[in-house]
Amino acid sequence: MNAATPAKYAGKISGEPTVKCLRPTPYAALAGLLIAGCSAPAPHTGTAAKGTADAGQSSPASRRLITEEQYLNTIAHMFGPDIEVIAQFAPMQRTDGLLGVGATQAGVPAGQMVKFQRAARQVAAQVVSSGNVALHIPSRQDALIPCKPADATAADDACARMFLAGTARLLYRRPVAQERVDQFVAEAAKAATLSHNFYTGLGMVLEGMLLSPDVLFITDRTEPDPARPGQLRLDAYSYASRLSLLLWNSFPDDRVLKAAESGELATAKGRKRVVEMMLASPRLEEGMRAFFDDMLAFDSFASLSKDPAAYPGETGITLTAAREQTLRTIYYLLVTKNLDYRDLFTSRTMLMSPILGTVYGVPTAPGWQPYTFPADSPRVGLLTQISFLAVNAHPARSSATRRGKALRELLLCQHVPLPPPNVDFSALEDPNSAAKTARDRLDVHRKNPVCAGCHRITDPIGLALENFDGAGQYRAAEKGVAIDASGSLDGQAFRDPAGLGQALHDHPSLPSCLVRRAYGYAIGSPLKESDTEILAQFTQQFAASGYRFRDLLQTIALSPAFYQVTPAARATTKEANAKTQSPAE
Amino acid sequence: MARIKTSLLFAAAALAAAPIASHAAESPLKDGTIGYIITDLHWAGYKTPDAKAECPGGKVNPWGPREQFKALYPDDGKRTVEGTHLAFEIGSWFPDADTPDRFPFYEAQGKYSAGLNLDGKVGPNDFTSPDGEPGIDNQLFRSIGCVENYRPPEGTTTFYANKAIMEERYNRMLIELTGVENLSNDSDVTVTMYRGLDELVADATGDRYVSGTTMRIDAKWGNKFVQKFKGKIVDGTLITEPVAFGQIPWSSFSLPTTQKFHDMRFQLRLRPESAVGYIGGYVDVENWYWQTMKSESTHHQSNGQTTLNSLYKVLRKNADAYPDPVTGRNTAISGSLEAKFVQTFIVHPPTDNKVASAATTTPASSQARHER
Repeated sequence: MNAATPAKYAGKISGEPTVKCLRPTPYAALAGLLIAGCSAPAPHTGTAAKGTADAGQSSPASRRLITEEQYLNTIAHMFGPDIEVIAQFAPMQRTDGLLGVGATQAGVPAGQMVKFQRAARQVAAQVVSSGNVALHIPSRQDALIPCKPADATAADDACARMFLAGTARLLYRRPVAQERVDQFVAEAAKAATLSHNFYTGLGMVLEGMLLSPDVLFITDRTEPDPARPGQLRLDAYSYASRLSLLLWNSFPDDRVLKAAESGELATAKGRKRVVEMMLASPRLEEGMRAFFDDMLAFDSFASLSKDPAAYPGETGITLTAAREQTLRTIYYLLVTKNLDYRDLFTSRTMLMSPILGTVYGVPTAPGWQPYTFPADSPRVGLLTQISFLAVNAHPARSSATRRGKALRELLLCQHVPLPPPNVDFSALEDPNSAAKTARDRLDVHRKNPVCAGCHRITDPIGLALENFDGAGQYRAAEKGVAIDASGSLDGQAFRDPAGLGQALHDHPSLPSCLVRRAYGYAIGSPLKESDTEILAQFTQQFAASGYRFRDLLQTIALSPAFYQVTPAARATTKEANAKTQSPAE
Repeated sequence: MARIKTSLLFAAAALAAAPIASHAAESPLKDGTIGYIITDLHWAGYKTPDAKAECPGGKVNPWGPREQFKALYPDDGKRTVEGTHLAFEIGSWFPDADTPDRFPFYEAQGKYSAGLNLDGKVGPNDFTSPDGEPGIDNQLFRSIGCVENYRPPEGTTTFYANKAIMEERYNRMLIELTGVENLSNDSDVTVTMYRGLDELVADATGDRYVSGTTMRIDAKWGNKFVQKFKGKIVDGTLITEPVAFGQIPWSSFSLPTTQKFHDMRFQLRLRPESAVGYIGGYVDVENWYWQTMKSESTHHQSNGQTTLNSLYKVLRKNADAYPDPVTGRNTAISGSLEAKFVQTFIVHPPTDNKVASAATTTPASSQARHER
């Protein structure tokens, strides 16, 4: 297949007036244009979009670039989890604490477009594959194409239409106009005739669909809100997409689209039914994993490694399992057990795997099983899981500062100021220093007025986790000196990691920070001052529910602010783009 | 049983095998029980860089299969497959201990060898351990100590034995110590051997293994390896009493076999994360020979100049225990395996009675062994 050819289909298929960069030029030129950086369709603001919505009860319309996980989930849901895709999409810019919000700021540079095309080709080839025993490639066309052509060496418009219309509806997340489907079928016929292969024709069009800006960008489309004359709301399909990205981290499935098509999503009762259905779906786990992975900044695992000389027991496999452990534990405690969100930080139960058992020093069962540490164990809550400890540490040593900063910024939504540019690390890194423990070493910073401002914010918390080294392994002493893990968190004193977990559990900013992150993630936009009121309402309802995370998701998904929108105002994102950096250690 | 010294060899071996102390705060000794899993296993001996201390004139055996074949069957233009290749192979499959070997065979003849003092005596054929303990019974080393294949670390047998431990499952040997009050000194402990089911876990360096893994017992096919040993811990060294007969799972080139010992016993330096030392006894010669025959092709034997029909004669000659009641010829040869273990959590199957009842507890009888 000509590498440039699918770009042609992308242009023709998308066919939206907002895709300005596509022209009816030769294939290669089309591909070049697309790859050079095609602007995404802007949020469709509807013909009645004139006024501004009532403050705090609406969210901006946005367009987000699909994330790698969303792409993979969508492909798996549509074509099966055994479709292998090496995606490796470019990471988003963390904005307002979330990569998910950064997706609204993302464009598609040339290198990224190449990756999209590579992924699209892999997907299309597998979907229409007739299999190859020698290459261990299974046949999928019989399972994924809902009909058989009269002649597999020629075009078959009826069969092509059946597959392409249904596929386009799911990929574009809304019904596709008849004339557009006609285009798909015509292009598939042309390719089938040229290649003498019906399935090759389908594959080329599918590849083109997967490169369409309408697929790669999730663009909010709005319509006049009959309940609020002069204001806007998401149309039913954009509401369905927003719901699916929040709850499933994937595109809407047939049931959700049918609810949009039928008008059910336009009613409060209908929205409630659909949200409850989605919350009950197994796909909720994928949605929750994506949110907490984002909130906890676990994208850092992609570049995380530990010095084998310092931590030989911590391999790449261990670190991958550590990330998985936390995400599984969160789902287990918050959904399966329906616990209070704050209990994540005081629970002694974690999901455990055999490879992690070697680091925790506990016997395990095959697979992932809940494991409850005894009451005298230092392992209590998420802060003492290897993921948090290892990802917020140096390659060969722990970091009280990074851990303290992560706790404040990720879990309490507080901002830790930037370090000065000329930090003197000599005292900290002196191998001959008389200081044995991190507490002693960091004392240098806390006594330096230039450093003290930040380190007094981060270190007393981080030092409470010094019983765990840079790999998250327990230690009672450092260089022969017993570790003092006492400290205080905003006035609440503690003596050990368990005490820190309890202090965090009791901190009033813990639930409100989760609400802030969840709402920002849900609407895919940075939050503004005007959102204060709605955040307070959500927090109040969250508390009333006993801090049940599912209830929070439901509250947000059914709130007017979730589907009542204002036109996108990109200028408002500036304030949220403040880059967060660690104070020096 | 000879008094055990805290030897330099043990100390060095323990350091070399030092696994990852991944959970320093919590002892893996729980409820008087601690488990270990095998990570390294090879025949004990002694090796110097130039071989002068242990081999005649510093020479190792030059007559491997290829060299013998060339000498036996010169290319006279009349050679046949039956008369050459097959004849040579038949010599290995029907070994003859009585006919003198046409080729010289260099036996280890130095003073030193690692291993155990199996009989508690110091005899004229005994070796002295590298750290000075006399009375080491290791006639197996005398037989194979100058065969390059068995000279660690370069000898391919060591390499492949450890490779098999890493990659294969049949040889997953576990030992579980129970009744342990103190890992340094305890007058009465029980050691139970099992075959495990799960994989070893390598550390980030790739050439060592982590402690703290969890291993399940093979309660279905591994019952014949469930054996119990009574023992004690003296200054950190586990010393078990010998059992009359013991066997350990062995694997080479994916072929599952066993190593069989009379008077089998353990002597291991214990740490919370590791156990390093010896598994020793009188090795059943026929079993040793045939497991090697089945495991290694002539190709593999050629890599280290191991000609098995020559080696068989030497093994028979040096066998020093368990005479055949009819012929009076010894059937077993003293030897030890150097073994390294890392700590593991051993998970017993829900219905463990079957496994426990399979355990061998027969103690060795001094009357059963009649050394020549």
